[in-house]
Amino acid sequence: MASAELATVQEHGRAALERLGLPTRRQEAWRLTDLKRLEALARLPLSSAVGSSALPPAAAGVLRLVLDGQSDPLDGVALPDGMSVLSTAELEQVLGHTLDRCGCAGSWPVELNHASARQVLALRVRGVTHPLELVFTGSAGLTATRVLLLVEEKASLDLLQVLQSDVASAHSHVLEVHLGQEAQFRHGLLATADGQPSLMALLAVEQEPRSRYAFTSVVQGWNLARVEPRVVQVDGQATTELKGLAVSQADQQLATHTAVRFDGPEGELDQLQKCLAGGRSHAIFNGAIQVPRDAQRTNAAQLSRNLLLSERARVDTKPELEIVADDVRCAHGATVSQLQEDELFYLQSRGIAAADAAALLLRGACQEVIEHLPAAAEAWGPLERVMTGLSQ
Amino acid sequence: MTSTSTRDLVSQPYKYGFVTEIETDKIPKGLGEDVVRLISAKKEEPAFLLEFRLKAFRHWLTLEEPDWAAVGYPLIDYQNIVYYSAPKQQEKKASLDEVDPKLLETFDKLGIPLSEQKRLSNVAVDAVFDSVSIATTYKEKLAEHGVVFCSFSEAVKEHPDLIERYLGSVIASNDNYFAALNSAVFSDGSFVFIPKGVECPMELSTYFRINSGDTGQFERTLIVAEEGASVSYLEGCTAPMFDTNQLHAAVVELVALDDATIKYSTVQNWYAGDEHGVGGIYNFVTKRGQCRGARSRISWTQVETGSAVTWKYPSCVLQGPDSVGEFYSVALTNNRQQADTGTKMVHVGPRTRSTIVSKGISAGRSSNSYRGLVQMGPAAKGARNYSQCDSMLIGDQAAANTYPYIRSQQPQAAIEHEASTCRISEDQLFYLQSRGIGFEEAVSMMVSGFCRDVFNQLPMEFAAEADKLLALKLEGSVG
Amino acid sequence: MIRPDAELLLDINDLHASVEDQPILKGVNLQVRAGEIHAVMGRNGSGKSTLSKVLAGHPAYRVTAGSVRYRGSDLFELEPEERARLGVFLGFQYPVEIPGVSNLEFLRVAANARRSKQGLEELDTFDFEDHVQEKLQVVQMDPAFLERSVNEGFSGGEKKRNEILQMALLDPVVAILDETDSGLDIDALRIVAGGVNQLATPENATLLITHYQRLLDEITPDYVHVMAAGRILRTGGRDLALELEKTGYDWVDKELVAQGVA
Repeated sequence: MASAELATVQEHGRAALERLGLPTRRQEAWRLTDLKRLEALARLPLSSAVGSSALPPAAAGVLRLVLDGQSDPLDGVALPDGMSVLSTAELEQVLGHTLDRCGCAGSWPVELNHASARQVLALRVRGVTHPLELVFTGSAGLTATRVLLLVEEKASLDLLQVLQSDVASAHSHVLEVHLGQEAQFRHGLLATADGQPSLMALLAVEQEPRSRYAFTSVVQGWNLARVEPRVVQVDGQATTELKGLAVSQADQQLATHTAVRFDGPEGELDQLQKCLAGGRSHAIFNGAIQVPRDAQRTNAAQLSRNLLLSERARVDTKPELEIVADDVRCAHGATVSQLQEDELFYLQSRGIAAADAAALLLRGACQEVIEHLPAAAEAWGPLERVMTGLSQ
Repeated sequence: MTSTSTRDLVSQPYKYGFVTEIETDKIPKGLGEDVVRLISAKKEEPAFLLEFRLKAFRHWLTLEEPDWAAVGYPLIDYQNIVYYSAPKQQEKKASLDEVDPKLLETFDKLGIPLSEQKRLSNVAVDAVFDSVSIATTYKEKLAEHGVVFCSFSEAVKEHPDLIERYLGSVIASNDNYFAALNSAVFSDGSFVFIPKGVECPMELSTYFRINSGDTGQFERTLIVAEEGASVSYLEGCTAPMFDTNQLHAAVVELVALDDATIKYSTVQNWYAGDEHGVGGIYNFVTKRGQCRGARSRISWTQVETGSAVTWKYPSCVLQGPDSVGEFYSVALTNNRQQADTGTKMVHVGPRTRSTIVSKGISAGRSSNSYRGLVQMGPAAKGARNYSQCDSMLIGDQAAANTYPYIRSQQPQAAIEHEASTCRISEDQLFYLQSRGIGFEEAVSMMVSGFCRDVFNQLPMEFAAEADKLLALKLEGSVG
Repeated sequence: MIRPDAELLLDINDLHASVEDQPILKGVNLQVRAGEIHAVMGRNGSGKSTLSKVLAGHPAYRVTAGSVRYRGSDLFELEPEERARLGVFLGFQYPVEIPGVSNLEFLRVAANARRSKQGLEELDTFDFEDHVQEKLQVVQMDPAFLERSVNEGFSGGEKKRNEILQMALLDPVVAILDETDSGLDIDALRIVAGGVNQLATPENATLLITHYQRLLDEITPDYVHVMAAGRILRTGGRDLALELEKTGYDWVDKELVAQGVA
């Protein structure tokens, strides 16, 4: 934990926000964002109270840390073997490095976080260690949290981040992860809310060769959410898996902006993004894949599948592929539709009522992503949370 | 500069790079309201057209040049361009025999013979040289069917009601920066009108030639197909090789009423600049068709091989119920060329359908982007879109980008998009070579195989041409 | 048919070749004269497919030593397409699919490239269609395959027939058939073998690369060579193939050990 060191970062962040102002429609990355909501978010005072939501018991063997932006999450916690806190000197050296490498230093969500975060949880992971669960609780106002993980060579980590909030508030979160060679990192983000709060989450991940990063995000129920996983394979030869599910209802706007860059050869990406939009909601997906000249023999596949569940919902999806290497396989696909009639009919013909058949299919559609969450997610009943959102 | 020697033709892949020495009526460089008025006066236009131009010009002044496309070029100095240049022959000639032989010879050399004896048998041609149309073939024969095919200037004089009704009805004069510029200063182009129930008896074609080094070409094409009418139209373009860049900012509007069909094909071969990226045309074009009527159909087919920079998105607004939009595109870039091209399919009406097939080939140090939008509006119940965007990369210094935007507000509409990237594999090349097929020919066979779905959409006469053009463009880019 | 005075078509001398810096061929010697049918047998990895690819000029294979003379001139001086035009034909073990390229057009361009080298008149689209109809009968192939893309969606047997059809059209001097029998049922094998037999003349020669004896029931070889560890270990008549069928390849290991190679 370091708060004194953050003073400079905060100062820079505030100055940057001042300079940048709010994003505008003229900026391609923000063209579809509901800027009124963004403005409301930016105006929120920093939260000062500590949230007090009841948490389900953590799964056995899982190390749970609770981050509320204020109290020390490590207070009274004994870290298991293989996990240690970065020293101030180390932190100074690495903080922001991955953000830089992923090209998101200086972006608005990052500066917002810089300006607001009062602490950083910075851990080093060696070998195979306990699964980690980070629970972020919100309270009225803006909560800003920042996490940095160094997963060392050949180390293996399962991380589940749970973000939840049920009051009118906002959460700004920035995560930086560096994966050493042959490191394995299974990462879940379960972010569910009840339609009021807003979320800006930026996850920057650097992968060394032969590392494996499997990320699964499940986002549901925010007034305004923007989840941005940004991955760079620094020397290629790594494996990245991105699975995303966003379920929007009422007048919610849920956006997922992913970016994967291969800075070396023989990298692999397998990406699936699903959006289910009901009510008057708006689902946005933007998936950038960059394959520069050195990234020969990259193999990348991206699929964006969208279900429109209501006459007044809308979906915007925008894959972006930029390729400068000739020996690559890069496929992407996108579909937008409602539930498939023949699937519905098949279930109905087996005696299942139309509404039940639809619910069954929707569960299936969600489960396809949810099943990739780390095991610790089970305790949170992710499928039920998402389905509750859908039935509202 | 004199006309080319044989040696030039052999050593230069671009064989249309010659300049015709001809006296021209040119206005001075620069752009202002006076220039807009001057162009309108030279063309003796009715008041509504001058108004149209002035409105567009005033709007243009308030706009900024777009910078969102994945292309880069030095700032264009709009005051350093000639906005009107015409070969000196006062009136458009009644008969081709009276056209300056130098002009006829120019088009002969381009493979577009205009004279009675030599002209193509089943294609009517409108030949546009710099700012004006110099001749249109088969006009009388077409007139027998009620088909109007003439230069835009003639149409303004002879069919002002049609022009007033349809001009700017698909692409408003303030649509975008380049469309506004074109609306202010356009000089000529083609006009096609197919009346109710008529199937146009021959292919219509306009051939655009930029000759002058400092002249911008701002042509305007308007095609209207009334209820149940159909037409197939093709445009071709070439320009001499200059080491400066010329601006080409065209606007093409298509209107299809109930049950009408318009098929619009382009073989674009403007001068692309040399291998270092010096010279070449800036091709900033706005093309849009409106399927206004029920069951109408608009189909764009383009083979884009030329220009230094291309910025072009032939689009369809599918308004009429059950109307159909299609976009078939091959875009090939080599050396330092940049192309940002694609389409917009805007589904407004119910059960509208669209198909997009895009094949991008990037070689050399070029950059080739597909940018598309498929939009399903709230009323587009039962609408369908299928898109396929494939890129082929040749060499490791060319860029292929794909930006397919999709937006839907209608649950009962279905959108499906697929994209892939491929290269010519060593094994495929070896297989062809081991059958005696030379390296370059093997490559061009595979490239044209890659493009086959698009070439199949071209009128017969031009499919083979397109094939050859591609092979020519790729020469020396592989290996 | 063995005639000692027949023209020496292919003269392979101490040929060494590598793929990705891995030596595969380690000194192959082989002479092929007009009228002869040679079978090259051996286990997987013995180098027999590499031999065929090197002869056809596949870019992934690097010749590190030795020479091959084709009708007196240096084969390695020639690009793959030049070799094909001069009459070297490779029937692929795995024929490549080329989407979008019409099979008929491909065959026509290939046949004309060879014909023009032979001093024959090139065939236009119409004449070629007649010409190819004739050749289709050699492999009993359905003309519908001409309309499809090269090998795209063809079954294993159809691909092999397409190979032999190409052989018929290109009229090779030396035909190298790499595992042409693999993946074929007995009917397809007979058809393919029948095609090869029909195309064999006293002026040309055939090199059959195969794993199994069964192809040699259909095509009678004049010579059988057994390859192992990148060299020809033993050469004999057709009896050698029968012997192999009975005893398997185990003796090969012993012989290699005896020679100090393995």
